Amino acid sequence: MSAVVTARDLSRWYGPVVGLVDVSLTLESGIIGLLGPNGAGKSTLLKLVAGEIRPSRGAIEVLGRDPFANRAHFADTGFCPQQDALYGDMTGLAFVTFLLRLSGYSARDARERAGRALERVGLSDAMDRRTREYSRGMRQRTKIAQAIAHGPKFLIADEPLAGLDPVARRGIVELFRELQREGLALLVSSHVLHEIEELTREVVLLHRGRVLAQGDVQGIRALLSSHPRKVEFRVRDARRLARAVVEMPGVRGVRISADGTELGVETSDLDGFLGALPAIAASARAGIQSLDTPDAGLEAVFDYLVG
Amino acid sequence: MPGLVEATILLFRTQVARVWWSRRTLACLALAAAPPAMAWIIAHINTRIPPAGIATHLGWLLLVQIVTPLCALVCGSAVVTEEIEDRTITYLFSRPIPRAAVLLGRWLASLVVVSVVLGLSAWLTTAVARSSPVAGAPVDDRITVPLLAAVWIGGAVYSALFAAAGVIFRHPMIAGLAYAFAVEGFLANLPGRNQALTVQYYLRSVIAATGSPEWRHVEGFATSKFETLGVATTTLAVVLVVVLALASWRISRKEFVLSA
Repeated sequence: MSAVVTARDLSRWYGPVVGLVDVSLTLESGIIGLLGPNGAGKSTLLKLVAGEIRPSRGAIEVLGRDPFANRAHFADTGFCPQQDALYGDMTGLAFVTFLLRLSGYSARDARERAGRALERVGLSDAMDRRTREYSRGMRQRTKIAQAIAHGPKFLIADEPLAGLDPVARRGIVELFRELQREGLALLVSSHVLHEIEELTREVVLLHRGRVLAQGDVQGIRALLSSHPRKVEFRVRDARRLARAVVEMPGVRGVRISADGTELGVETSDLDGFLGALPAIAASARAGIQSLDTPDAGLEAVFDYLVG
Repeated sequence: MPGLVEATILLFRTQVARVWWSRRTLACLALAAAPPAMAWIIAHINTRIPPAGIATHLGWLLLVQIVTPLCALVCGSAVVTEEIEDRTITYLFSRPIPRAAVLLGRWLASLVVVSVVLGLSAWLTTAVARSSPVAGAPVDDRITVPLLAAVWIGGAVYSALFAAAGVIFRHPMIAGLAYAFAVEGFLANLPGRNQALTVQYYLRSVIAATGSPEWRHVEGFATSKFETLGVATTTLAVVLVVVLALASWRISRKEFVLSA
């Protein structure tokens, strides 16, 4: 497979704010998920790939070209930006048609292609309405339509599933898979792990502007499972519950608050722990009031990875 | 891939309706209403000033010196800035067109608005001045036509300057106001050749070369020496082309970083 994106020692900062630090990676064709919490540098990397901004240091090539302000690059790529902005006074059809005209299509071809693209994203019924009347999900789908309408080789999508209802999200995931089958390479960002898992197994993990891991999502999950996970309880008698859970397999440690009403447990087998907990809690009669797994979110996953 | 001319025309055709129905056009219309409104007040309340005096004084002192740069600033500074503020510039800059087409297409769309609004204001100002009951020099074509020429040429040159400011400066409105009133206002009123560094000087030259003797009664017209019509229009044309070329060069290389 040929490389779609090649980055070498890529850094980008905005004044004193660091967006990306020494990123070196090679992305092959297929669907690549770009995963990271908010502020990880995903949008910065996508803007560099899309040719919207230049690197402060290092180099990037997309389909063998320097992407910044490169017309040949723009002919071959589609970019679905993160910002929720369209020309509100235009209809969805007029908006996509206008952008296709700028891609070099005749008025007739542009209109036909725009209609087909909007149909693919499920907006055929709403394409003649002004985009200011669209819901967030419809605007999101219009952004995707303008990015695929000119038949690019490479689609760059910044949080394309944000704001979509489950049905629309399913539709877009299916569309992206269909585009992949048609030979399109896709780079899709998200801060939600399961969104990316629905789309692809190949992910790049970004955190604080650096690449933490790249590869199969299952491998990264396995890496995560070897780290202890926290479970926090509010409980009537934390000491009683601590005595009961400390002997459970996988439990690595417990922490009791000074007033004896909060208990923190670290376990390397979260699923096993949660499965066995009801019976243990019932026999301990410690009066559990609430339970939380605060580090189940993506940010905590990244915190683990960075140590 | 569309070339510069094709992309500029496409952008102009799409953007002219958007610019026309924008809030900035409303602001221009409000500004442009001032000279005819003042003309009506003077013609019907101060009954000592003849029609030609009202048209030339308001035409130069208010319309050309103040309203024209302000309208050009309101529309011109928005040429690129509006796309940045609306965060839609990404769509234009991710198309295989020369980036300069975005500047030129939108500037032409703004120029149509500025020209229509200023032309209407000039025509109304002279028409209202004609209704003055005071006997004296009438408002003829040698007052109306030079005034129209001055607002149209001035609108084009100023809007190009402020469009360029929108590409170069983060706050083009402030930079434009400082230029139009602090720099031009200062230099245009200094004696000697300093005036030749201002757009106002060449607009005054256009009027002086083509207008009726009634223009000589307006402050600044009687005492100064002016360029010929050919030199004045050529100089302004060169300024316009150079400014647009510089702005086109700058927009082709500049990053426009948008927040999400």
